[in-house]
Amino acid sequence: MGLRSFIHKMTAPRPSGQIPKGAMKMVFVVNHGLKMGKGKIAAQVGHGAVKAVMNAGEKGPALLDAWLATGQKKICVKGNDADHLARLEQEAKQLNVLTASVHDAGHTQIPSGSYTILALGPCEEHQLEPLTGALKLL
Amino acid sequence: MASMPEAPTMVLIVRDDLPLSSGKVAVQCAHAAVSCTLAARKSQARLVERWRQSGARKICLKAENLSELQMLAGQAQTAGLVMHLVKDAGHTEVEPGTITVLGIGPGPRRSIDALVGDLKPY
Repeated sequence: MGLRSFIHKMTAPRPSGQIPKGAMKMVFVVNHGLKMGKGKIAAQVGHGAVKAVMNAGEKGPALLDAWLATGQKKICVKGNDADHLARLEQEAKQLNVLTASVHDAGHTQIPSGSYTILALGPCEEHQLEPLTGALKLL
Repeated sequence: MASMPEAPTMVLIVRDDLPLSSGKVAVQCAHAAVSCTLAARKSQARLVERWRQSGARKICLKAENLSELQMLAGQAQTAGLVMHLVKDAGHTEVEPGTITVLGIGPGPRRSIDALVGDLKPY
């Protein structure tokens, strides 16, 4: 970053966005069709979370701050397969919900490039209801 | 992608003596990963960038119980590594305040391997 853009960043008003009011949440949809082990799922969800947070830092800092300040609420739900995750990702984008997808490098357990996790949010809980409300908890 | 031996790594160590569902474990690990990443970004921004560029390697290991987890946390701190102990809010499954997962890193692979090399994958 150059000096000028640095100074700009320091002095510019914070990107406000809408200040979220409701309860904040992040949801991970796990590709349950892949039959990943517990540890594998945990590491993949970890990837999804870090990716979603970095992404939100750029695109929705107000959402990220609100989510972090209220205890980083997260849940994991089951998705059927890669198509199901891709469909939810599209729907989330239409609803202006932030998304981050994880495709596995395939070092272990599953084929390289498999779509393993879809992270939705952080956003207000009610926005996620139409997307993942019907899915079962993992 | 061949991961270079010197690429930074992160480990997520789960307590094996608690009855946790795999969804719960995943969420607790995510919590550790996020908290560690945010903490490391303040103190070692370059290392975090290098870690992300190289695929943000994460592995999930298990520790026998709380005392083993706390011992590892102490050792990580002494070694100057970023670490975070996750305390569950206890909404479900376990008592509030239960320590469930220890995240270490991102940090140099060699220093982390030296600490956790004996642990089994979760």
